[in-house]
Amino acid sequence: MRKILSFILGSILALNLTISVANSAAKEVRVAYFLEWPSPNLEDMQKKNFAKALGVPVKWTNFTNGGAMTDAMLAGDIDISYSQGLVPFINAVKSKAPIKLVDIAMEYGMGGTTCVTSNASGITKANATELEGKKVAVPLGTMAEYVFDESMKVVGADRKKMDIIQMDPEEGAAALVSGDVVMSCLFGGNSIKAATAVGTRLLTVQEARDAGILGIDITSVTTKFMKENPEMLRTFIEVTHEANDRYRSGKSDMNSMSKASEMKVGDMKETLSGFKFLTPSETKQSMTKGNLDAFLKGMGTPRGNVDTSFLPL
Amino acid sequence: MFTQFITILILVSIVGCILYGRRLIRTEKVDAVFGNPERAKGGTHWIIVGSSAILLIWLYYSWDIAKGFYPKSANELCQVAKVNESLLGLKYQFPIEEREFKSTSIIKIENKNLQIITNEIQSSPDLSSQQKTTLVGFINETRQLIPLLTNENLMETDTKIQIKEMTEEIRLLTSNFKKNDYPFETDEQKNERLRAVSEEGGWGITKIQSGTGSIEDTIEVPLVPATNKGLKFDAAAKELEIINDKFFKLRNHNPQFKSSIKTLKDKIKEYRGGLDDTEEVASTFAKNIVKIARRIEFASIYPPNALNEMQNAIVEFDNVQKSEQGGLRFVDMFLFPAGTIVSSGTSCSEQGSGRWLPKPSDTLNKFILMSKPSVGYKNIPLLWIDMMDVSKIIGFILPDWIADILPGEYPTHTKDGVVEQNFKGRVLKVVTGDFKLFKIPVPYGHIWDSFLRVFLGLIFGILIGVPLGLFMGLNRFAKGFFDPLIELYRPVPPLAWAPLIISVLGIDNTGKVFLLFMVSLSIMIISARAGASGTQLSKIHAAHSLGASKKQILRYVIFPNSLPEILTGIRVAVGMCWGTLVAAEFLAGTTGIGFVENVAKKYFQYEVIWITIFIMGMLGLLFDVTLRKIIDKTIPWRGKG
Repeated sequence: MRKILSFILGSILALNLTISVANSAAKEVRVAYFLEWPSPNLEDMQKKNFAKALGVPVKWTNFTNGGAMTDAMLAGDIDISYSQGLVPFINAVKSKAPIKLVDIAMEYGMGGTTCVTSNASGITKANATELEGKKVAVPLGTMAEYVFDESMKVVGADRKKMDIIQMDPEEGAAALVSGDVVMSCLFGGNSIKAATAVGTRLLTVQEARDAGILGIDITSVTTKFMKENPEMLRTFIEVTHEANDRYRSGKSDMNSMSKASEMKVGDMKETLSGFKFLTPSETKQSMTKGNLDAFLKGMGTPRGNVDTSFLPL
Repeated sequence: MFTQFITILILVSIVGCILYGRRLIRTEKVDAVFGNPERAKGGTHWIIVGSSAILLIWLYYSWDIAKGFYPKSANELCQVAKVNESLLGLKYQFPIEEREFKSTSIIKIENKNLQIITNEIQSSPDLSSQQKTTLVGFINETRQLIPLLTNENLMETDTKIQIKEMTEEIRLLTSNFKKNDYPFETDEQKNERLRAVSEEGGWGITKIQSGTGSIEDTIEVPLVPATNKGLKFDAAAKELEIINDKFFKLRNHNPQFKSSIKTLKDKIKEYRGGLDDTEEVASTFAKNIVKIARRIEFASIYPPNALNEMQNAIVEFDNVQKSEQGGLRFVDMFLFPAGTIVSSGTSCSEQGSGRWLPKPSDTLNKFILMSKPSVGYKNIPLLWIDMMDVSKIIGFILPDWIADILPGEYPTHTKDGVVEQNFKGRVLKVVTGDFKLFKIPVPYGHIWDSFLRVFLGLIFGILIGVPLGLFMGLNRFAKGFFDPLIELYRPVPPLAWAPLIISVLGIDNTGKVFLLFMVSLSIMIISARAGASGTQLSKIHAAHSLGASKKQILRYVIFPNSLPEILTGIRVAVGMCWGTLVAAEFLAGTTGIGFVENVAKKYFQYEVIWITIFIMGMLGLLFDVTLRKIIDKTIPWRGKG
């Protein structure tokens, strides 16, 4: 009995201690990013330029969705998330996660995130109210949900009257093909290709752009890292913007970028053509009173989670 | 209040039951040696200890005990966290929690980086020796920038004064902080603050607003300081924030440094401008050198002793704020295990076990809220009843073609625009359920949907699996014919079928029920077959010699003999179905417990996640207990054959 009691007390103590030790500062910077989502700074990642610029090793970890990035940041495994979607960030901030938005990774037209209605259903932009009462597939908590919400506002259909099914893009595409849903909102080249084989985009890329629907990917950082290593964060953002600059002037090394994002050069170029990498001053503009600001306000995000002071202006 | 009571009750019951158990052991047989089953008999008191211990650990690590006994502690710790947050940047400059000055570590790193780049330049085959000399010259100039910053004599008086001012501000704050009435709040401010406090509400879910139906917007840790102690820290944090910002805007740039770095930058720019396209390597190296120079320019590098006063002031303040925390520090240490309250400017949050382990009281409150049919989850209640007309059931059962095969035509409208009903039309109304009868209550909701899927999958599995299994156990052809088929699909994990089945049968109930049917079918076949072939030959012989027909042997000998195996098979199948169902609902769905959990995960609703886990555990237990009861009632001969 005494042994059992001392074991229990010992393990409680050990658990309390290990967790507090795990939070102490590490001498490396841990960055989260996406595969198949290319950006110019991946060239620097591939060539280890970030480690050179920051003066400490930089560890890159790839993720499949922005929510997982937040989880890893809260668990203390990631310091900076590069190209996290804005919607996962907003969800995290709404649940009071201590992370901050410090830079815009890229803005993109909704070519890569869209809602597709099946041809068999005969629903188009003109009669979109017919969606009410039918089944639609939406990956909740992602940028696609935002696109869905905005598209429904554009076509005047009521989201509350629809039967929304939580589905990841691959399954959403399959459900559209099998006719289980009349509309599927999805992202990613392969899923959209599969969906558009049996359906059409509810809003064309141009229509979405005219309606002001656009995607924003951001750089977020834990509050702790931001407070402790402001100069490292500044350097990280500076190197990223230099890479963007290089890309704009056409000097990026496409081969190493494609290697880093694990895509074919052709596919990568096509994806990149839909992205817009902002200059530092454009970024600031967007963060203070432009697209990003409007987006955050529209989603009812708590204020005070955006910091422009790290931009290399 | 409730949590306090429960905590004390748990502690008392644990201690009481342990004492009782120990006394019971003393009165028990002394000759029971280790390994004797008598010693492992269990007992209600040990069950109480076990379940209380789990609840206690949950209460402790979810910080519910802290909430129960010190409801204001989270709010106060939030204010302390604000102070720590504003101190973090300043503290990090000094060897307070780190081993060395920030300046020291920056100089170390940059010197190392300069060395690395020197080595790279020296060993680069693409550079001419003249280029190498120029580049190394730049590096040396960059290196010489550092002493310009660390030399105390070169430091500007203005910078010194500013540092002194900041030090004084911290000192003033420290002395004010000790005073009881700091931050000298007026009555008006106080009233306003208290109003804000009452508007903001308490820690966790304190009141349930079923009217709004919203379970997503609950405040975690109140931000506005509610107590005088909290107010002190809040005010101090605000002042420190200003000082912090001032410090990070300050740069130790004297005229010598400024002119040196400008010359260096101009030189490198000129050098890079003079290079042509073939000399890109040299250009890149030069650019990297500028980067290091700019980093040195941006970093807060100061002479070694210039900030001593400031460091002392910060340490002093830190000590004062720690002692002002008083008992709160111990609350933080002991009642907030594995984490604490963290501030991030605009909000405070629980970070650590309190984040992903919701408090039992919050979970209970949210569960009560979610069980209300008007709230539910995503507009669907967890479990409720809906009044449904019996006609719908009749319409579902009767096939529609009954109306089609009747002679005659369906009614058409006349030129007056009236539709006259005829017999064929009336029959169609009946078979499609388009009429009114009496209403009966039908359950619906997330729990019911999940339950129904499992139940249907299981029933179909039993209806087909048991006869087939018995057939296989008794017939040579059936055994040989079906065996390879079953043995081939049985070992496949059920979830491996899921994507395929969802593509073929769709995301509706059909697909999920079919998946569960596949899971239960193989188990039922195997158990029925084992039951049938396990019947003792002597019993069959006995029945045969008494003149029983084949049918009678099957009905009265083989079937009762295989029932124990079959019912055990059902118990196994229930468990498997349950596990598979949740994963199937993860993939696609609009209802069901798995769907609720999957969506809750996306919005970080930890309470809901835990609620679904508990519901699943409870339902699984319910199924199992019911089956055990059925087994005990229906086959008293189990284990006696």
